[in-house]
Amino acid sequence: MNEKSQERDVYVAIADPTRRKLLRLLAEAEELPLHELTTQFQMGRTAVSKHLAILKEVGLVADRKVGRETRYRLNADPLREIQDWVTFYEKFWNDKVALLKKLLMED
Amino acid sequence: MKDLSLDFQFTSSINKVWESLTDSEVLAKWMWKNDFKPVVGHVFQFRAEPNEWWDGILNGEVLEVDEPHKLSYKLGTGSEIHTVTWTFTKSEDGGTHLHLDQTGISDNPGAFEGAKYGQTESIGKLKKLLGEL
Repeated sequence: MNEKSQERDVYVAIADPTRRKLLRLLAEAEELPLHELTTQFQMGRTAVSKHLAILKEVGLVADRKVGRETRYRLNADPLREIQDWVTFYEKFWNDKVALLKKLLMED
Repeated sequence: MKDLSLDFQFTSSINKVWESLTDSEVLAKWMWKNDFKPVVGHVFQFRAEPNEWWDGILNGEVLEVDEPHKLSYKLGTGSEIHTVTWTFTKSEDGGTHLHLDQTGISDNPGAFEGAKYGQTESIGKLKKLLGEL
């Protein structure tokens, strides 16, 4: 299993606690501007914006410009992939066995 | 209920692959910390990093040990307990074919949500370690 070329996926996007918190905040509101999201975190606006960019990349959030501010909203559709547990375990074991193969120096 | 069936091919010998899946110390290197023993009836735990949704513990019980051909155990948490069965077969080239059956995966395992995030998180960490991100 060579996953080096794999693009960022929804699993990686939600593997980070900051991004999960962003998703929860957006799930509770219809739409939030960056500055309001930033107040919920210890980190600065650039860092929050980077996390939002990753979520946007996998389609978990959408954004739009309103005047000078960017507003973000949740798009939960990609999470359906994670709802499929068989897919989840398939990925889990593939990743684990890939690590075992590295351990056995089979790569 | 859903089932998962996967096949893996190793260049390592069947005994080496058997050891990788049954030796507690080797298992800890690619799975999680554990007190696994390939003894029928042995009750064990895998311990992943806890997170805010999940205490990180997976409970297991060994169901079948037929060295080096077949290994089966229950594994899970809460009401989400699966049966994991590994079948080992020698390949003609001296390598090993490994087959996995995981049965009893529920369609809507709400209670197990945390474990999913836990595993996803550890896979993320793993990939970072391996420089695959």
